Amino acid sequence: MKVFVIDLSICNGCYSCQIACKDEHVSNDWTPYAKPQPDTGQFWVKILEEVRGTVPKVRVAYRPHLCMHCDEAPCIPACRRNAIYKREDGIVIIDPEKCAGHRNCIDACPYGVIYFNEDLNIAQKCTSCAHLLDNGWSKPRCADVCPTEAIKFGEESEFTDLIAGGAEVISPELGLKPRVYYLNIMKRFVAGTVYDPEQKEVVIGAICTLTDTKSGEKSTVSTDNFGDFWFRGLPEDSGYDLKIERDGRVKTFHDIRTKKDVNLGDIPLT
Amino acid sequence: MSEEKDRLKARGEDVTADGERAAETEKTVLKALGLSGGIYGGAPCAVDVKNGRIIRIRPLHYDWKYNKKQFNPWKFERNGKTLEPLMKSLPSPFTLAYKKRVYSPNRIRYPLKRVDWDPKGERHPENRGKSKFKRISWEEAAEIIANEVKRIHEKYGPLAILVQGDGHGECKFVHAPHGCSSLLLDKMGGFTQQVRNPDSWEGWYWGAKHVWGPGLIGMMNPAENIVKDMTENCDMVLLWGGDPETTPWGFRGQFPSRLCYFWSEIGIKQVYICPDLNYGAAVHADKWIPILPNTDAALQLAIIYMWIKEGTYDTEYVETHTVGFDRVKAYVMGTEDGIPKTPEWASPKCGVPEWTIKALAREFASKTTSIVHYFAGGMARGPYSHEPARLEVILLGMQGLGKPGVHQSQIAYEGMPRNIIGGKGQSHMGMFQNLAKSPAAERLLKPHKVTPVAWGKQLIPKTLIHKAILNPPVTFWGTGAIETTTEDQFVKYTYPIPKEKGGTEIHMIWTDTPCRTTCWNCGNEIIESTRNSKIECVVAQHPWLENDCLFADIILPSNTTMEVDDIIPCIRQGCHFQSVLLMRQAIKPIGESKSDYEVVCEVAKKLDKYDEVTDGKTVEELIKAVFDGMGFNNYVSWEEFNEKDYYVFPVAKDWEQDPAGLIKFYEDPETNPLPTPSGKLEFYSERLAQNFPEDKERPPIPKWIEKGDTHDENLSSERAKKYPLLVMSNHPRWRVHAQCDDISWTREIPTCKVKGPDGYMYEPIWINPKDAERRGINNRDIVKVYNERGAVLGGAMVWERIMPGVISMDHGARVDSIIPGELDRGGAINTIAPSGIISKHCGGQATSGFLVEVEKVSMSQIEEWMRQYPEAFQKEYDPASGLRFNAWVEGGSQ
Repeated sequence: MKVFVIDLSICNGCYSCQIACKDEHVSNDWTPYAKPQPDTGQFWVKILEEVRGTVPKVRVAYRPHLCMHCDEAPCIPACRRNAIYKREDGIVIIDPEKCAGHRNCIDACPYGVIYFNEDLNIAQKCTSCAHLLDNGWSKPRCADVCPTEAIKFGEESEFTDLIAGGAEVISPELGLKPRVYYLNIMKRFVAGTVYDPEQKEVVIGAICTLTDTKSGEKSTVSTDNFGDFWFRGLPEDSGYDLKIERDGRVKTFHDIRTKKDVNLGDIPLT
Repeated sequence: MSEEKDRLKARGEDVTADGERAAETEKTVLKALGLSGGIYGGAPCAVDVKNGRIIRIRPLHYDWKYNKKQFNPWKFERNGKTLEPLMKSLPSPFTLAYKKRVYSPNRIRYPLKRVDWDPKGERHPENRGKSKFKRISWEEAAEIIANEVKRIHEKYGPLAILVQGDGHGECKFVHAPHGCSSLLLDKMGGFTQQVRNPDSWEGWYWGAKHVWGPGLIGMMNPAENIVKDMTENCDMVLLWGGDPETTPWGFRGQFPSRLCYFWSEIGIKQVYICPDLNYGAAVHADKWIPILPNTDAALQLAIIYMWIKEGTYDTEYVETHTVGFDRVKAYVMGTEDGIPKTPEWASPKCGVPEWTIKALAREFASKTTSIVHYFAGGMARGPYSHEPARLEVILLGMQGLGKPGVHQSQIAYEGMPRNIIGGKGQSHMGMFQNLAKSPAAERLLKPHKVTPVAWGKQLIPKTLIHKAILNPPVTFWGTGAIETTTEDQFVKYTYPIPKEKGGTEIHMIWTDTPCRTTCWNCGNEIIESTRNSKIECVVAQHPWLENDCLFADIILPSNTTMEVDDIIPCIRQGCHFQSVLLMRQAIKPIGESKSDYEVVCEVAKKLDKYDEVTDGKTVEELIKAVFDGMGFNNYVSWEEFNEKDYYVFPVAKDWEQDPAGLIKFYEDPETNPLPTPSGKLEFYSERLAQNFPEDKERPPIPKWIEKGDTHDENLSSERAKKYPLLVMSNHPRWRVHAQCDDISWTREIPTCKVKGPDGYMYEPIWINPKDAERRGINNRDIVKVYNERGAVLGGAMVWERIMPGVISMDHGARVDSIIPGELDRGGAINTIAPSGIISKHCGGQATSGFLVEVEKVSMSQIEEWMRQYPEAFQKEYDPASGLRFNAWVEGGSQ
């Protein structure tokens, strides 16, 4: 059974996957796997990008988003024509010759990865380049062009350790058993720079303690040689108190919400 | 033909080394799809073709027809981790999308003539860029051009024709753009050459050369083997201005990305110093220090101040390896001018907090640090960019430049493991020396010399074309050619040259580099000068109807690499391996297009110069001549090369022993001097002092230049009251300079274009939420960027990837004038860049770090322009790919 394992810590946001998908599927007819994709507007693999934080504590998080090839794919039973099927290797295909354009699959898919082709009156999506896999390729175009090998594709058994070691799926609560696993999804951060306003120097080694206001759980980091502290991997929308201490000087922040990433800016420690 | 088919069939049976094969592929050809231009290749790709159409472009798998072991792959190791080459090339997204470029609706399919340009009557130069074109035959086009050449020669002399043959484009050898017209005109008494300045690395060229000698185009040299050395020894690298996730894309591909991730994995800290959170900083930065554009010199001086004050520089090295430190010290500490260059002094100038300046100075001094660029982005492309460039060398010099882990690095552009043909100490041009001695050398190399070498009889720097046309004579110091000596910068040139030497003003332009308006300084003045009546004829040859083509009188359709047979050595570094490709024709030429070489041959026929231009050689013979002339036959037979279409140069067995960078100079500067007059790092340049004693803009030691005769682009300027924002302009993310702005698949990417409320796809303008709010600008609004030199429109991206006080706009967007020379809808920011050169004696361009204001453009304003300039808005436009061929051609849709 095939899986995608996508390591987001090495996704550089180059969009090569999105482009190569178009190169493969626009103007090329791979019936019975897929009919041509329209030139624009469809993204069988789409890079999602999000700018996190504020100047100067900013990162960009990228994520290739594609058909999850779910084991419990809701698009399959939703199709009135039985045009959608799951292959033995786990890949979910919309048969372009059976599809009659009812669009029920589009409504059924919670991931928004099925597109409608008005000209051909069919629903379309990622095929994992099954037409290539069936002709000797070991991986789809998106994985072949990925310059950092962030997109990995193969037998699930090849990736057992990676998947067990903290891989996540999107919207696990839906229980659809997606076959696309992500490593290192970026979580929220709280960051800042601590400085001494009299000396006009960064404060190195200040102890920063972040306390979860609900659970009381604490984590501690100290500021680095730029006076920076970073708390990474925080859950979304939690509440925290932050205490910064150095040589008897203390600064506290209350009710920091991680609804967004938080940059507390340059913080004078007096 | 049946033989050809049989051969392809036979090749179709080849199975790749890892068992992969394209489904139903009729043939696979190889192409280097780097877009830097010239004969250095890059981004080797496999192109699958079926039924005469390109079906896909994919990375070349080096082990397709060879065994990996033959390559002797290199390896970098540190902290128990290993980086090895992948068995594939890493092309950029626009390389992968190049099919769209080849089949662009904007391709020029047949020769064109401007409707109101009559070589026998009225020429209407004032309508260049305004009036449309109509189809003519090849016969007519070649005849007109031949007659114009003869007429101009008789009336003014041969040097009245300007060859604009330099620039960026596809990598080909026999058929390449950039200079084939020189082959013809050289046989007819010569021409005036537009000399291309070092547009991406001005500061190194005009500044750093005076500190460490010529370097490699001004950057640190030798740089052999420094990638391994940095990987093993650096604690920290400073990415100062350049973007490893953008600029390398158009040249060799994406290997720098892998290298940066590996450096993170082994614990090398990556600090980005740049006004924008560029694409490298977005994913690799351990620390981003935003700095106002073109204020790097202030930060650098404050770092030097801190090192002197705290005694944290290598005093012994400075004593033995440098000259003039005392003068730098006197300036920095304020004994020279009464102003100590403290962090407190620097902070308001550069926008970096005092405490961060001090912290950076201490980190730099205490950690083994290299500075990494890919040319340097905005940092080396602003007014007076020679100053930050020289100061960078001084910074490195004060920390023992040359010792393990202390280098300036063009990330992976140089310094990768040597292959079996790369001699030690050999620069990237070295390989062509053998070819230069071969019988076909003149035909093969002459056109390619138009970009790096000033060999025309009369010269005009590319940065001064508008001044040369509008206000001759012009004088300049140094030709500005990429490959020339440092000493050339002390030579005064004048255009036109004396009459008795054939000197004349130019009256005809033959361009195959139609991007002067959008990629160089003050494009609006170029538009104005091109429409001057002195210019009687403008010929453009190009595959796409874009940019300067629109200002031509005759346009000849050239074709792309997909449509020709050629050969290309991918020998510059930056790929996993270096290789040579036999680039077979993938598809038939589009429309009536011909290769850039064949285009010139058509005109040559009309002038009875065909045999002289071709030197009696066929394309096939020329390809073989490259193969033999460059000595590839020593490594692979012509037969095997023809069978496999490529060859990968194995890594040299002893590459790890190559001394890294300037280590020899570091170890013994007396025995291994630098190529400077003193043999040392010249913090103070006696030569500059002697040649330009009065120059306050590039004094003998580098300084902070607040303003000068040439530029007044600082926030302290009076002008800043009207134009309070600084422009950061880097090389584009989704183009290579002006190339690829019409690819529908990249234009869908949110950072490539912004769809305005009028449906037009605008060039993005990055603006900080604070600056946007003050101006009532919302995300995706149409905005106008303007100063005294004109205005361009763009689409606002209001976000945190840009510091307050700065807007960022990539250069190279496709010109789409509303008012030619005044208002551009396409977003070609360089149309309003400074007109002046870098500084008084330095003929480079200053196209980042200049003052503008930004305001929101309402739909009623757009409608007002529509009423005033209806023709500008009636051109056929497709949001997916931009302006269409039909927009400019009468009856173009037929």
